[in-house]
Amino acid sequence: MGELLVKSAPGCAIPKKEMNIELYTTAKKSIMDKLTILTDAAKYDVACTSSGVDRKGNGRDMGNCVSAGICHSFSSDGRCISLLKILMSNECVYDCKYCVNRKSNDVPRATFTPDEICELTMNFYRRNYIEGLFLSSGIINNPTYTMELIYQTLYKLRNVYRFRGYVHVKGIPGADPIVIQQTGYLADRMSVNLELPTAQSLEALAPNKHRSNILKPMRQIQNGIAQGKQELALYKSAPSFVPAGQSTQMIIGATPESDYQIMSVAEGLYDKFGLKRVFYSAYVGINEDKALPSVREASPLLREHRLYQADWLLRYYSFRVSELLNEKHQNFNILLDPKCDWALQHLEQFPVEINRADYQMLLRVPGIGVKSAQRICKARKTGALNFESLKKMGVVLKRALYFITCSGKMMYNTKIEENYITRNLLAEHEKLPFDKDGMTYKQLSLFDDTQENAGLFGMTEEGKKAYG
Amino acid sequence: MGEYVFVCEDSIEGILNGVYEAYAFKKEQKIESHDLLHLATKNPDTYRLFTEYLPLETNAENASKVISTIRKKLGEETYYQLCLAMASCFEEKADAVYHTIVLGLQMNDRQIFDRLGEDCVQKAFRCARASSNEVGRMLQFIRFSELEDGILYAKMNVKHHILPFIMPHFSDRLPMENFIIYDENTNTYGLHPKFKPWYLAEGVEFDNDKIRFTEAEKEYQELFQRFCKTIAIESRTNEKLQTGMLPLRFRPNMIEFSENNSARI
Repeated sequence: MGELLVKSAPGCAIPKKEMNIELYTTAKKSIMDKLTILTDAAKYDVACTSSGVDRKGNGRDMGNCVSAGICHSFSSDGRCISLLKILMSNECVYDCKYCVNRKSNDVPRATFTPDEICELTMNFYRRNYIEGLFLSSGIINNPTYTMELIYQTLYKLRNVYRFRGYVHVKGIPGADPIVIQQTGYLADRMSVNLELPTAQSLEALAPNKHRSNILKPMRQIQNGIAQGKQELALYKSAPSFVPAGQSTQMIIGATPESDYQIMSVAEGLYDKFGLKRVFYSAYVGINEDKALPSVREASPLLREHRLYQADWLLRYYSFRVSELLNEKHQNFNILLDPKCDWALQHLEQFPVEINRADYQMLLRVPGIGVKSAQRICKARKTGALNFESLKKMGVVLKRALYFITCSGKMMYNTKIEENYITRNLLAEHEKLPFDKDGMTYKQLSLFDDTQENAGLFGMTEEGKKAYG
Repeated sequence: MGEYVFVCEDSIEGILNGVYEAYAFKKEQKIESHDLLHLATKNPDTYRLFTEYLPLETNAENASKVISTIRKKLGEETYYQLCLAMASCFEEKADAVYHTIVLGLQMNDRQIFDRLGEDCVQKAFRCARASSNEVGRMLQFIRFSELEDGILYAKMNVKHHILPFIMPHFSDRLPMENFIIYDENTNTYGLHPKFKPWYLAEGVEFDNDKIRFTEAEKEYQELFQRFCKTIAIESRTNEKLQTGMLPLRFRPNMIEFSENNSARI
């Protein structure tokens, strides 16, 4: 709050006394206030990964990148803190219904200067607090103006402060393609938010945004990456364009799409736009609006978890969406993870012989992950494996044992039968990343198709029909 | 027939010297198999019958001979894995590393660490994985503070002797900084003078009065504490998940969890 001294004009009715008027100015905000406001405004953005690019230090300037990414801390919600995730400004001209920064909301507003962002990034980075910067922004004036501000900040960070760490930046839909292109040469990762899974939902909840405006920069970045790779192959010193690839995110649970629709959109983005990651963000009610779920409703965390599990199956386990879900079976099972669920529907392909099955098939066994599958393939070259050595390699036998044989023998005398295995798997209690401390099953199941899942759980006739 | 256990110093050099001595002893005494020879890093609590315990003095020259053999015959990657295993805090590490080397040389296999079906490889792999996991954790959780003369100082408390494995990362990342990483457990300092190679200093006394932080340091600590607090979404609070990802034992040296600050998460 700034104070302005106003002297009363001569001849005015007000007594001749100096009076104080408090004016609202952003200039007077301390860096601590700004950081608080602009972190708070950025926290609903999900992507905080620092992966995808390997860049050694140059022996002179600060910073390097590790392709696996490094998380530096974990906040009390259990999410990782890898990047300094802030908005440039939360003074937004748009009025998206789900967003905390929409212009019709009465929240404190602030804007960072490029120097403030650079100083914060450099000083946090050298203390090993963060892996780099994640910069997004509300729309100031118009998309191109906002993108230019982001570009200026990155330019300063890279060329004046000589920062070589990780930078993730948002592409603002509707901004001038030239500015997006220029920003891409300074960033490691760019992302354009899809916001909502379908065009209809976007229209309903974000009146200022259009699907085509979002897909356009996405396509531009995709082409830029492809072209950049070609140039790098030709000229070693060509500047790299978005070397860590492109990602996007969508909000889950604010609109009525099914898991099948959401996963199909994600698959399309991976196939057609060459995205590195699609992030799913369980809707957190902030604004009261008749077009949105009630603020009091819990976030669909379990659903988000299942979508991520399925997302991994697409990216690392060579599954297709059509194998996991279909028109009839539109949502994931809340009780079983998607891979177990798939295996139970395809028992005819099991058991799998560990010492002979190909890598792709090993990946499809519940309880065997990418690392264990790789270890199995390497280790079995030099001798037959038994259950004991599988366990030591990291295979989760209590899940895998129903689906595998070692040298022709199963671990125990078990039936290969859907009901029997389901019952046993459910008895094992899947390890979920949240429980009674935070969100409970009951709160979550409000959002899921309880009818369908109750069918499976109780093995009722409907359940058998739906899953048979 | 009796077995022999060589008790060597608990260090990479000590263990590799033990490997050298074991090979020499086998040749000298015409012992049939390496299976009768074992390495240990300390005397056992209970001695076994028909087993002879032989203490060893570390000889750096012998160790470096073994190192060059490993690098030549088994490759750099295997050497790195073996070093990770030897840096771990497990008692079985010396014997596992010794028999892995024996097996690797017998099989002439540069990918010896893939043979997880073998017991000794399995054990060495587990030791290496434990160290390597902790290396990963420390790259995440180390926190530097700026001292008055501009030096960055970090303190860590770890189970395994991983300081040599994390110094290269930070030297590459912060070439223009003078920084110190102090390992409380082994009382070892990793030092990096700016634009120069890093080195280790063992058993030196560091004047604790010299650890005085700058004013700016306090401000940045407060800013980061505020950042960590604000970035969390209240309705998703999940301490169990947080503890799983960031176990309590790492927190004493992390400023965002410092007790005396009101901005505690």
